[in-house]
Amino acid sequence: MKVAISYPPIVNALGQKAMVSQNRNVQFFKEPTYLLPVVHAQAATWLKNLGHDVLWDDGNAQMKTFDGWLKDLVAWQPEMVVLESTTPVMKFYWKTIDRLKEALPSSIIVLTGYHSMRVPEESLENSKADIILRSNHVDFVLSKMVPFIAKNADWRETLQVDGLLFRGRGGLIQSTGNFNQVEPLENSPLVDRDLVRWLDYAYENGNYLQTPGTYATSVIRDCMFGKCTFCRYNGPDLTFSMMPVQRSLDEYQTLIEKYGAKEIFDDSGVWYRGKDAREFAQGIIDRGLHEKGCYFGINTRFEYLDEETIKLMARANFRFVLLGLEAADEETLIRLNKGYQSEHVYRCLEWMTKYGLHPHLTIMVGYYWQTQEQLDGTKALVKDLMLKGLARTLQVTICTPLDFTPYHRECIEKGVMLTTDYDDHDMSRLIVKTPIPHDRYYVAIRQMYSLAFHPLFILRQLRFLLTFRKRDWQFLFTYGWRAVRRVRQHIFNLTRHQGKASWEAPSDSKAKQPV
Amino acid sequence: MQKVEGSQAPARAGHLHKVLGVRFLTEDTYVIRCERGNLQFQAGQCVNLGFPGAGVNREYSIYSGQKDPHLDFLIKEVKGGIVSVQLKSLKSGDNVEIHGCYGDFRIKTPELGERPYLFIGTGTGIAPFRSFVRSYPGLNYKIVHGVRFVREKYDSQDYAAGRYVSCVSREDGGNFRGRLTDYLLKNPVAKDALCYLCGNRAMISQTYELLRSQGVPSDSLFSEAFF
Repeated sequence: MKVAISYPPIVNALGQKAMVSQNRNVQFFKEPTYLLPVVHAQAATWLKNLGHDVLWDDGNAQMKTFDGWLKDLVAWQPEMVVLESTTPVMKFYWKTIDRLKEALPSSIIVLTGYHSMRVPEESLENSKADIILRSNHVDFVLSKMVPFIAKNADWRETLQVDGLLFRGRGGLIQSTGNFNQVEPLENSPLVDRDLVRWLDYAYENGNYLQTPGTYATSVIRDCMFGKCTFCRYNGPDLTFSMMPVQRSLDEYQTLIEKYGAKEIFDDSGVWYRGKDAREFAQGIIDRGLHEKGCYFGINTRFEYLDEETIKLMARANFRFVLLGLEAADEETLIRLNKGYQSEHVYRCLEWMTKYGLHPHLTIMVGYYWQTQEQLDGTKALVKDLMLKGLARTLQVTICTPLDFTPYHRECIEKGVMLTTDYDDHDMSRLIVKTPIPHDRYYVAIRQMYSLAFHPLFILRQLRFLLTFRKRDWQFLFTYGWRAVRRVRQHIFNLTRHQGKASWEAPSDSKAKQPV
Repeated sequence: MQKVEGSQAPARAGHLHKVLGVRFLTEDTYVIRCERGNLQFQAGQCVNLGFPGAGVNREYSIYSGQKDPHLDFLIKEVKGGIVSVQLKSLKSGDNVEIHGCYGDFRIKTPELGERPYLFIGTGTGIAPFRSFVRSYPGLNYKIVHGVRFVREKYDSQDYAAGRYVSCVSREDGGNFRGRLTDYLLKNPVAKDALCYLCGNRAMISQTYELLRSQGVPSDSLFSEAFF
């Protein structure tokens, strides 16, 4: 069967491209960041291994225009097109699906992604899609579904693979029920780097200190914790699956020795912890991979990694560690189900910086309950951490309800949503009622990003040079100028609605708690 | 917020729960009982549990019932682990740090009476099921518990006669000699059963496939992987 796994280029009115970032969030940026969609890449690899003709068709990473992408795809004449969508680009995808159906009427259009998997009927109603996957295990489902459809012309009557909603015979919508939440990840192939044109993703990524960099096949799908209310990796439909340590080590060895990767990032919601983390780090050392000049990066949580594990990871040449700080106040941490206490943040970051890791903090603002006091507390904590050198980089985003996560559903139930238009969920502005004017959050974003230009922060980076660690010199001289460019872009994106009358955002006098 | 510098960060009082006792079920598996405080939860949910001020925690399902006056946690020491080793050293009167609760591995609308509930777990994966049983008297349940040794039939006396089946893989003395998947193969599951699976990942994925092959609808299967 001819199967295209496709990502159409999406460009907004400002000429910005829709980029997938951490946890499959979509944001619009002018400066490109191309992230390999790992699970879909595994799906492509699996289908190819099963003998299907697979086209890896990422119009973004392959620098195509929309028209060019569409023309090329139509010329290839796929029998099936697999797409991945999320809330802010749902409407775009529905239109694109209908265009594809016009140009390729006999092709089967399959929609995946965390938005459509939670409200699958909606996409069947609003587009001509044939099949919606309810499962996050896209690779496992496609590996069963594609061979079945290839062999059964009457699949619309007989398809029985779990976790699907599809148009059956006569257009009747059929459901195959829930899906297997825990899949044996060792059965899904490691990503075929050549098939997915890995070099397309190897350079334009703001998190790489060295290139070519790449994303590892995730060891955890989606998140071992999986309880944070705002995250798409949380929901009653999800638990986690894990890949054996030795298998991941084998992939790292291949990526370094065969492909020459200089930075490898694992975008698992949270990476291994405890015994598995130590086994992995020790495995890197035992295989001599820590001496190949390749840095390793992960996502983790506060209170997940202990000092001994962090020390071993540093020996194994781990560098970039991304941590969700989210907020400083206890109430917000509890409401978000973060599962840690803000006081322990210092200790964890001290361990990481002591051994030379580069912690990267992700902060969010604009929760529908966030008061000025809470916002100030977050700003103060972030400033303190950055100026003390306990974190090296940061990323601030507007907490946007997405993909029918528990936070999204909560916002709907509480009546705090200011829009029902999915296009407005692009993380460029606040779309919930808040107790203080939206501008205050935009100002806070600007202030936190501006810490990168604070003399004390710069002085701290210069002092790191005295450790004579190569990564610290690279950080300042290679990464620094890039960071400045990205900081300006982030500030533009996240604060361009500042001072504009957006929605019915309350003025200072009208500010009140919405719940 | 309270700023803390240096390596020792105190746990907030609201997260501290006094330990009432530690009861060893085997040499490496134990139950920590602690004061409940104001913590409200639904059976099947978990918390983050840690040694006070250690700065490292792990998720554990609550082992006690919703109406019990205390909180119980069933913990197996992980060889080479951190948190389970620290917690093992706790004594009555010590504190434990708790964050939570959370999780969706719950019985959302318990159907008391005829509707069969099948709880399938390995090792300490039985913890949420004990909470279900204690929280919902009148549930028509059966527990299928996979363990390696007879001594790992944790608190099996707590369940009504005929409702607990131990599948012991490495020695005789349980209700069934072998893996729980072998038991389920020989004892097919009622198609209208609501099946809850908790424990190691391999067991969950194998059991899921097995139950589906026996005709249990996928909408009647609920999973929680913990290791």
